Amino acid sequence: MTGAAAGLVDRVRGVQLSGLATVAMLVVAVAVNSALQPNFWDSYALTSNFATFVPLVAIAVGQTIVVLSGGLDLSLGAQVTLASVVAVQVVDGSLDRFPLAVAAALGVGLACGALNGLVVALLRLQPIVATFATSFVFSGLALVVLPTPGGSVPFEITTAYRDSVLGVPVALLLIVALALVWLVLRRHRVLRHVYAVGGDADAAYASLVPVARTRVWAYVLGGLFAALSALAILANTGSGDPFVGNELTLASVAAVVIGGTALAGGRGGAGGSVLGAIVLALVTNIIFFADVPTDYRQLVNGAVIILALALAGIPALQKRRPSA
Amino acid sequence: MSTPLLEMSGVRKRYGGVQALDGAELTAVRGEVHALLGPNGSGKSTLDKTLAGTVVPDAGTIRIDGAEARIGGPRDAHALGVAAVYQQLSIVGDLTVTQNVVLGLEPARRFGFLDQRAARDRAGAALERFTAAFAGRLPLDRPASALGPGERQIVEVAKALARRPRILVLDEATASLHKEQVDVLFDVVRELRADGVLVLFTSHRLDEVFALCDRATVLRNGRTAGTVELAATDEDELVRLMVGDAPHQAPRAARAGAAGAGSAAEGPVSSPAATLEVRGLTTDRLRDVSFTVRSGEVLGLGGLQGQGQSELLLALFGGAHVGAGEAVLDGRPLPLSSPVKAARAGVALVPGDRGRQGMFAVRPIQENLSLASMHRRATARLALRGAAERGAATAMVERLRIKIGSLADPVSTLSGGNQQKVVIGKWLLDRPRVVLLDDPTKGVDVAAKEEIYAIVRGLADDGAVVILNSSDNRELTELSDRVLVVFEGTVVEELDAEAISERRLISSALRLGPGETL
Repeated sequence: MTGAAAGLVDRVRGVQLSGLATVAMLVVAVAVNSALQPNFWDSYALTSNFATFVPLVAIAVGQTIVVLSGGLDLSLGAQVTLASVVAVQVVDGSLDRFPLAVAAALGVGLACGALNGLVVALLRLQPIVATFATSFVFSGLALVVLPTPGGSVPFEITTAYRDSVLGVPVALLLIVALALVWLVLRRHRVLRHVYAVGGDADAAYASLVPVARTRVWAYVLGGLFAALSALAILANTGSGDPFVGNELTLASVAAVVIGGTALAGGRGGAGGSVLGAIVLALVTNIIFFADVPTDYRQLVNGAVIILALALAGIPALQKRRPSA
Repeated sequence: MSTPLLEMSGVRKRYGGVQALDGAELTAVRGEVHALLGPNGSGKSTLDKTLAGTVVPDAGTIRIDGAEARIGGPRDAHALGVAAVYQQLSIVGDLTVTQNVVLGLEPARRFGFLDQRAARDRAGAALERFTAAFAGRLPLDRPASALGPGERQIVEVAKALARRPRILVLDEATASLHKEQVDVLFDVVRELRADGVLVLFTSHRLDEVFALCDRATVLRNGRTAGTVELAATDEDELVRLMVGDAPHQAPRAARAGAAGAGSAAEGPVSSPAATLEVRGLTTDRLRDVSFTVRSGEVLGLGGLQGQGQSELLLALFGGAHVGAGEAVLDGRPLPLSSPVKAARAGVALVPGDRGRQGMFAVRPIQENLSLASMHRRATARLALRGAAERGAATAMVERLRIKIGSLADPVSTLSGGNQQKVVIGKWLLDRPRVVLLDDPTKGVDVAAKEEIYAIVRGLADDGAVVILNSSDNRELTELSDRVLVVFEGTVVEELDAEAISERRLISSALRLGPGETL
């Protein structure tokens, strides 16, 4: 049994140092937030907070998969927008059509992800440029589908989203569910190949990994999580908005980095990104409750993100330092 | 004999300006360990890769069991029963050992979900024979990046073995293994041979080839020079096949003497005081390297490629982590901690990877030339004058006879030879006292090569210390006053002017000679 015990030690050693940094940031963010927001721990405030976390958590998981594959998807926010306006047009206030709307949103995510994947993997364009370009296509389509904010989500959905089950907010359960989906995916061959391709694409190719197909899969999975993010936004706001996803792209990349996933690919995981997304959402909260003047909020938010990225990067730097 | 298991014929492959394979042939049968030999750049690795599918040849046919095989990628090769151990390992550092061994062929349950237990079992079985190399315990769950070079090499071997190949390609698979691990690998290879597997074995250690292999095919300049039964061959015969019957090249010094009182001959004596002395230099890849070079001398670095020559140049330029040792230039220690300090101390490096490390391809020729020496012409170390920059660049273009349209054109518009002259010129403007050249004529056409040779000689004649690494033995014979033969990170032999010949360089690189063991 010593072998098994030693194996466990190895596994623990394999955990990223930056995981600690992420948890530390979360603790600090929670402490500051609860100091500034007197009713932070009340069930209403908790429910409301978790309700705003879900969309960011979902898109962060999607971005994690793309980043792990060695890519980057700057169109994820636009995909959220497109999926949400399509879904809101489909559902049109009717609970009966909600399953159809879910299918439509997922369909949009799948199609957008497939397009990105084909452009990056087969046409071999730089992911940053290619997905930045497709983001305009998706945003443009969203404006065609829903030119001005509007549409309505059945109240049963919005009510359920802000409800609690046995005292646990539904939104928190959704975050747990997203984490579980990630854990299931991790046990799948496609995710293993995503890690291999992001870690060393040449070695993966020589090792019989279907590199191009794996890259396409990464973008498709990213798109599907963007669709889940869109559905959460609809459930939270109750109506459609053709600009709703704009700020989510940067936040998704920031959450990934704060979560300790290497932007170079191949190293990290969505668990950290979930925490990173929550940290980012708490920062927005803190800025609100700290009475930062409205005009300065964006500036402070940006500065805090840069600070968080720098902190998250320190352990990674130590790891990269050449050793013997 | 029945149809051979493997027949490769007319295999051609061109990389940019280099014809790596030029109609290579190889025939081998099942149950054979077949060595693939040849000097640097003869195409061994490329031929291995065409079989393994990581390189798609421009022309040629591959027959396996008599049937023509279309190998468009590693997956095609796998389907035909070919597995390879690559010289540049195909290990993903962030994955665990188990994940690496089964990579691409992960055992899965329904819907593609991984069967982790089966994966561990398979990896454990493949690595079992090598347990001793891991201090008795297989690191199945450790990330591959945490392993030492030898351990990674074994994982790479185990990965190929786990694929149960009919044809196993071992490209320098023993390069970073200890003796005991090599013995285990050889046992495994002999068992595979008994089971009818064909093993293609490439190694720079000739004693291993004689110990293990049945036959050998020798490549030279991308063509097959011959296939021999090793039992009926000696090392001299192998070296003859590798070098060919090319006319014997006289060493440079002898030729210079014959040409009369050349300036090259008096170079070394003109300023005997200026010397670079390297003592006990040790890095990750170098062990205790010591030598002395006088100004006016061209010191060649020979041996097989990748034995630490480039690392030595990089270390002298402050670009490597130096564990021990020092370099002294004219009695003053050279700073080995950063390239900027090295450059200030008068050291210049013309790097081997011109495109990535030597130039800014899309920037104008003028900028590329003036970059390293701007501080010399700057007023108060700040302001640059356009006329002075242009003047310096123009003078260098004329001096090195760089063929350009306009100084404003990007460097990428030039031919390989002229690009290399720009990289050299950039450093000459900084008036270096030590010039390190890492394979300066790689991918350069013949005419430009001759001009670069003249530049290198000129540098030495002007009193610089010149150290030249070259994978081209002919180049070393033509240019060097002395050659240090580097093997596995250490200097194993010093050849003086009379001793430098292509034949001698090759046999020395392969470590042939009396009293020598590995």
